[in-house]
Amino acid sequence: MTRPVNPETIAERVQEFGAVLQVRKNRIAVKTDPGRLHDAITTIQAVLGFDRLITISTVDRGGTFELLYHLIGPHRIIVSLAVDIPRTRPVMPTMSDLLPPAGIYERQIHDLFGIVFEGHPDLTRVVLNEDWPAGEYPMRKDWKPDPGHFYGGIKTEEELKCQK
Amino acid sequence: MAVPGNGISRRLVSWARIKSPWITVYNSGGCNACDIEIIACLMPRFDVERFGILVRGSPRHADILIVTGTPTLKQASRLRRVWEQIPEPKYVIALGACGSSGGVFRGLYQVVDRVESVIPVDVYVAGCPPRPDEIINAVVRCIDLLREDTAHGGKEWRQKKPLPAPVPGEKSPAEVP
Amino acid sequence: MPEVVVPIGPHHPALKEPVNFRVIADGEKIVRLELDLSYNHRGIEKAAEQRNFIRVLPLLERVCGICSHSHATAFAKGVEEIMGLEIPPRARYIRTIIAELERMHSHLLWLGVAAHEIGFNTLFMWSWRDREAVQDTLEEMSGNRVHYGMNEIGGVRRDLTPAQIKTALARLPDLEDRIQKYVGMVNSEETMLIRFRGVGKMSREEALKYGAVGPTARASGVDYDVRRDDPYLAYDEIPWKVITDNHGDVYGRTRVRVGELWESTQIVRFCLENIPAGPVRVEAPKNAPEGEILSRYEAPRGELAHYIRTNGTDKVERIDIRSPTLANWTSVAMCLTGQNLADIPVIVAAIDPCLSCTCRMVVVHRRGGRAVPGTAAGESGHDPKSRQDGWRP
Repeated sequence: MTRPVNPETIAERVQEFGAVLQVRKNRIAVKTDPGRLHDAITTIQAVLGFDRLITISTVDRGGTFELLYHLIGPHRIIVSLAVDIPRTRPVMPTMSDLLPPAGIYERQIHDLFGIVFEGHPDLTRVVLNEDWPAGEYPMRKDWKPDPGHFYGGIKTEEELKCQK
Repeated sequence: MAVPGNGISRRLVSWARIKSPWITVYNSGGCNACDIEIIACLMPRFDVERFGILVRGSPRHADILIVTGTPTLKQASRLRRVWEQIPEPKYVIALGACGSSGGVFRGLYQVVDRVESVIPVDVYVAGCPPRPDEIINAVVRCIDLLREDTAHGGKEWRQKKPLPAPVPGEKSPAEVP
Repeated sequence: MPEVVVPIGPHHPALKEPVNFRVIADGEKIVRLELDLSYNHRGIEKAAEQRNFIRVLPLLERVCGICSHSHATAFAKGVEEIMGLEIPPRARYIRTIIAELERMHSHLLWLGVAAHEIGFNTLFMWSWRDREAVQDTLEEMSGNRVHYGMNEIGGVRRDLTPAQIKTALARLPDLEDRIQKYVGMVNSEETMLIRFRGVGKMSREEALKYGAVGPTARASGVDYDVRRDDPYLAYDEIPWKVITDNHGDVYGRTRVRVGELWESTQIVRFCLENIPAGPVRVEAPKNAPEGEILSRYEAPRGELAHYIRTNGTDKVERIDIRSPTLANWTSVAMCLTGQNLADIPVIVAAIDPCLSCTCRMVVVHRRGGRAVPGTAAGESGHDPKSRQDGWRP
């Protein structure tokens, strides 16, 4: 590294995208908003050398979903870019064009939380089994299995006999 | 059993089956630990092949099916299909706490609680995971069952039937205490 | 020439775990790969939100049978940091010993499986025989061969007796001797060189771009190891070095893993000889204060990340597990394209896939010829054509 990169210099650089929430020893959390996330990632990739996406975490906070994009660079400092999206309209632009590994994480979040990633080339059923009813997202806090729904597994004995 | 009649050919097949049981392993959604212990059975320390026990990939060649792990909802139908492909007489070992009762995964939203909900099980092995010697013991127990069933002319006398499938949605992801 | 779809799995003689590959092949060359990994999804993360810390640890150990200590330690370490607990040095050393023994057993297991995939069954038997020595040590220390159950919030559950340390140290010279043999074998054995060299090549840039972790990344020259970069447990007190390699192929990954085996024996030896005296646990409060943490851990397969958020109760608000295999799938699918069909087992085995970790969450899938980010093609989504044209002969 030619110029010194430490949490303070990174915090200065990223504060234009939102409030820098906390600074741990080597981790910075930045609260930004969905519209500016793409710019933020482009900037920290180009300027600060954050070249690797660790993971995307999702938290169901009742009224909103919080998405956290954890990025790390060769200086081994993590930036967690947090965005809140409303539960009533869970839509988020995809980051998979900037960060190829995000494709996988976004698809699993779509499956478990029902968040739609706009611009994702193939946002289909990934984690849950093929019989899982559409529109049910098991990782949401308010999800309860509906006794009237069929969630997969073995069907009844009669149906199995018909298949033979 | 598979070979009709009561003649020398039937006796020969039964003898061969008892002397060399072939096994297929199906991971129906477990954590992999049981599968490692099964492979450890094949390795120089335990080396089950010296007893004539062979692990084969195809269910169509197998006499004994070892099922590891709690069947997930996606695996349940596949497990049933693999079980249907095994020729009679067939025996099923439910390996580990998960296979026998669901273990720590009991009540999760994406699992069928135990192997017995999907296919009939003959031998249960406790442990998480069972040690290789316990796995070998379970296979030996299967051979005992095979011998008994041969004497009775089939496994109908034990009257094992699969449990009724759980009603989906009846259980909640909040686990059983 | 029409493309042929070769489905493999979920139950297949060559696969140890349920996974479904749909290989789209043009003759002998792989055009692309569709992976379906959802067979093992159990819903552990939901259950972890409903159990208290004491009950979550055994559940997390059973995310995966090979890296069970990794998941439990990553979680315990994260929750302890939120609680502000400092665990005693002896507990840190014991955790390190178990972690490195686990790495040894995992790498020996991998070496055997990789040798098996190329038909070199002698090495398969040898490495698994040597693995039994590691398993014996683990069993003596923890009471179980696979799920050790050593962790609890605030320390470890069992202390090491002097007799255990003595027998563990007595086992090490043999093991070191064998591992030296494997180091030589990897570099000289013709069978392995022919099948491993130039197979599944991945450059440093690709490894970074597709987010490879662990030995897969280190074999491509990415100097990235959480144990050194973000030291946890006792790793900052132990002399050891990160193994990297510049080959970028399966050969390089083998070299890295065998090198790490040697490093692990040295770490275990150092820890056993220098283990501090004292208690092995501190009292942990029942509830954790509100907080969040990204707990990283270098599992045998690479970086494991647990995102933990607590809410002041004795349960977690949310735990998000990102297993190393999940991070590696993108890159493995990428380096499979253009390779021979016969090399699939070796390349897939080379990342040491642990599907029960991965399938807890994820699947990669591709359809309709479009390149999906993070899938088989792995190519970035906005420009699928450029790379795809290059793949087809």
